[in-house]
Amino acid sequence: MNWPRALLTDSGGFQMVSLLHLADITEKGVTFQSPVDGKPMLLTPEESIQIQSRIGADIIMALDDVVRTTITGPRIEEAMYRTLRWIDRCIAAHKRPHEQNLFGIVQGGLDPVLRDICVKGLVDRNLPGYAIGGLAGGEDKDSFWRVVAQCTAALPEDKPRYVMGVGYPLDIVVCSALGADMYDCVYPTRTARFGTALVPEGVLKLKHRAMADDIRPIDPTCECMVCKNYTRAYIHCLVTKDAMGSQLLSYHNLYYMMKLSRDLNSSIIQGQFPEFVCKFLQKMFPKGDVPEWVCNAMEVAGIDISSCCAPFTTSQD
Amino acid sequence: MALRFEILGRFNRARAAQLTLPHFVCQTPLFMPVGTQGTIKGLATNQLEEIGCQIILGNTYHLALRPTSELIDELGGLHKFMNWPRALLTDSGGFQMVSLLHLADITEKGVTFQSPVDGKPMLLTPEESIQIQSRIGADIIMALDDVVRTTITGPRIEEAMYRTLRWIDRCIAAHKRPHEQNLFGIVQGGLDPVLRDICVKGLVDRNLPGYAIGGLAGGEDKDSFWRVVAQCTAALPEDKPRYVMGVGYPLDIVVCSALGADMYDCVYPTRTARFGTALVPEGVLKLKHRAMADDIRPIDPTCECMVCKNYTRAYIHCLVTKDAMGSQLLSYHNLYYMMKLSRDLNSSIIQGQFPEFVCKFLQKMFPKGDVPEWVCNAMEVAGIDISSCCAPFTTSQD
Repeated sequence: MNWPRALLTDSGGFQMVSLLHLADITEKGVTFQSPVDGKPMLLTPEESIQIQSRIGADIIMALDDVVRTTITGPRIEEAMYRTLRWIDRCIAAHKRPHEQNLFGIVQGGLDPVLRDICVKGLVDRNLPGYAIGGLAGGEDKDSFWRVVAQCTAALPEDKPRYVMGVGYPLDIVVCSALGADMYDCVYPTRTARFGTALVPEGVLKLKHRAMADDIRPIDPTCECMVCKNYTRAYIHCLVTKDAMGSQLLSYHNLYYMMKLSRDLNSSIIQGQFPEFVCKFLQKMFPKGDVPEWVCNAMEVAGIDISSCCAPFTTSQD
Repeated sequence: MALRFEILGRFNRARAAQLTLPHFVCQTPLFMPVGTQGTIKGLATNQLEEIGCQIILGNTYHLALRPTSELIDELGGLHKFMNWPRALLTDSGGFQMVSLLHLADITEKGVTFQSPVDGKPMLLTPEESIQIQSRIGADIIMALDDVVRTTITGPRIEEAMYRTLRWIDRCIAAHKRPHEQNLFGIVQGGLDPVLRDICVKGLVDRNLPGYAIGGLAGGEDKDSFWRVVAQCTAALPEDKPRYVMGVGYPLDIVVCSALGADMYDCVYPTRTARFGTALVPEGVLKLKHRAMADDIRPIDPTCECMVCKNYTRAYIHCLVTKDAMGSQLLSYHNLYYMMKLSRDLNSSIIQGQFPEFVCKFLQKMFPKGDVPEWVCNAMEVAGIDISSCCAPFTTSQD
């Protein structure tokens, strides 16, 4: 693909479960119907690692037994323990440890006890990095941040922590405040294809008729090629009707995410992180209506955001 | 008149010229990509500049529907709206109506059609077309012509030719920005040399800044095609640009340039890209073909474009028809190919190397020497000796 920088591959497990009609998880691995010819197939931890070995990414992910956080019951515990058994099979199958970094994935649903067992189990295996999985699947935000906070508190200090499937800029800022390092999500590019741009205030819907004669760029503060060259009116004209609209919005949205990454990094290094967080929240919540889950998370993170929160009213998030 | 046309080199009928337009100084022969509705599908304007694109075409019909010419005008014209600092040409809107709309009909007043938005009956007159194009603000605007496909025969062709002449006067009268926009007339007349001659003379009498040869590139046989182009280029003024509308295939562009044409437009390079086909010196390369799946060569090893310098056939094969990026990369390469062809035509004529260029071009495309007969005939009229690339005649001829 002509990409000279770093690559990360996932294990393949999640897509199977989320995309395929008849995928099923057993101790052996993920059984599914081949979408090509309908034949029964099996993705084992060994097979996943072997495939990822051939692809050659810098970071590879263990095959985990992932369940959505909206599920309850014994399945969650089963999945967590199986994830630990599978990590050993992944480690054994991993033939290129000097070229590829195998990350383990913490499961356990929203149950702090299960999450704790999983973290300890993975840390025992002394992996190069750890992911927090099973989130970003529809759970309420209050549960979400608490799981992230627990895991980042328990995972080793000196290794990268990757929250899978996150996501929204606000979520990334909160998780970073809580000690996470890496994120991934289809959101910025997918929402671009629906005509939505990421801006400091939140989102801008380019399809809206008000955009038709708006000659401002998507974001007047943004330095990207799209904002420096095209107006909202032009992009409005294209979105959903011409692929160029999606291209330009995807470019802007990813630039936005890259800038967010740089700003998080540099504000922390320069000792300006709380100021950055406050500015970020002020732009997104100019009336001071910062959601309660964010306030709670920032409290645990030890970041004073009182300057951007309006005093509590009865209408809370 | 808002252009200067300066011929800098010749080989017989072929010319290399500098065409100075309000927004850009262009070198001809040149190919204009079609940016139908304010964008070239798959390329941002900085990429168009990167590949050396000088002038692009916008379709008045599509732009008038979305986002409307009034809005474009309000926002400062199409150049500003789509962030294209170089030259623009808009067509009249007439052709799309006739080719796209179910119930379009041509009367002396103009083109009557059903609005695709709400089904209401509408009328595009020469005056309205010029006004819309005035709002869009292109460097070159096209007269509304009565265009019939060359595959039609009978009195309709003559009617259309004379109507085109009557309409050019209405276009001229309606043209309020002659110092900023150049109104080109379009030669019609089907495949009939008598009608074509009358039309050329009529348009030349109006002393327009440039002339297009219309009504071709619609399915006529190649032998008829080149003969009409040859007749028109011979009769049109030397010192004004000649634009063959709807052309096209690289081979057709080389032949028409040999015959004395300067400008071309076609959706072909970008459309064929979206079907997975790349333009290469040998002709075309179909990236969908299974043989491409593990071919690690670039599309064209001799091509210097961003795509050929960075991606393999195997990678593009993997994307084509499944991911928009496949179309994007192929569109980029194909337009680069057309821009390079334009540059090569211009420079080979200026350097006195035009026949050599034509021969090399034909040799790559027809390595067995099976150059189609129509090309041989056209090159003979153009006074270009291509015998070195033609195999002796066999019974199987094109």
